[in-house]
Amino acid sequence: MPDALLVLVHGSPRPVANEDMFAVVAGLRARPDAAARFPIVEVGFMECNEPNIPDAIAQCVAQGADRVVAVPYFLHTGNHVCNDLPTLLEEAQERYPNVTFLMGDYLGLSPRLTDLLAARAAGN
Amino acid sequence: MRVLGVVPNGEPTRYNPTVSNTGKRALILFSHGSVLCGAGEALEAHTNRLRTRGEYDLVAYGYLNYSEPPFRDAVAGLVAQGATDITVVPYFLVPGYFVIKSLPEAVDLARARFPQVTFRLAEPLGHDDRLADALLDAAMQAKTAEHWREPLQRAALACRPAPECPLYGTPACPKVPRTPVDAKEAEEDA
Repeated sequence: MPDALLVLVHGSPRPVANEDMFAVVAGLRARPDAAARFPIVEVGFMECNEPNIPDAIAQCVAQGADRVVAVPYFLHTGNHVCNDLPTLLEEAQERYPNVTFLMGDYLGLSPRLTDLLAARAAGN
Repeated sequence: MRVLGVVPNGEPTRYNPTVSNTGKRALILFSHGSVLCGAGEALEAHTNRLRTRGEYDLVAYGYLNYSEPPFRDAVAGLVAQGATDITVVPYFLVPGYFVIKSLPEAVDLARARFPQVTFRLAEPLGHDDRLADALLDAAMQAKTAEHWREPLQRAALACRPAPECPLYGTPACPKVPRTPVDAKEAEEDA
């Protein structure tokens, strides 16, 4: 039974703002190591864009996921990361009691972003 | 060998070896800011790691709104420490309004205030394979439901305390006395 990786995204009234995130997710889907671990990769939006997070979770379950691993595509600790996203996952857990829901640290906590910030500072 | 700090006749000078004649290179992370206490957790961690890397003499962070320090004060602090070349890196995912409009405005003000300083503007995080690596790392270390609200508990550790914070006056806020009703409920729960 496959694991699903669900990327939780804020969403934007300017859809172009999601292009970089979609490129990152496309890169993830194309990686053999990621695909072996997470055969299903979906994106769900809190606001403005489709699919919303409950619909994205339903897509994961419809593809046979028995474990949904959610990662917030957010840079900061805030109400969305601390409250809104956990609440959406708790609601999903009630709706799908046979599916295991996990949540990872939000993106901003990763030391890999420090490397990327240093690269941006150097003009790379 | 050239001995700094001593003039040819042997008299000590006022030369301060901590302030280089060539000036210091600085990096400053520019962020939006938040009303939530402790929202700077990730930004502070990146700042500390960038300091440890040692690629810049000085590393700081500054905010556009709400959080401390404001960007203008953080820049002034770097200049006071001898920075003559400051690279500004937006801690933003995409080049939206704050990166395209607010940040250049803030940097223009800084240039006018410190004309002797060179300011360089870097790109936001945008698209990079390291973001996919970060997503995968986080997914591999994902946690069960009882851990999902831990960032909020950590945020309370950075209480300022500020009435505009969503934690203010709630049981999660450590600095502000809770309302009498809250206190009574806690007593009954105990």
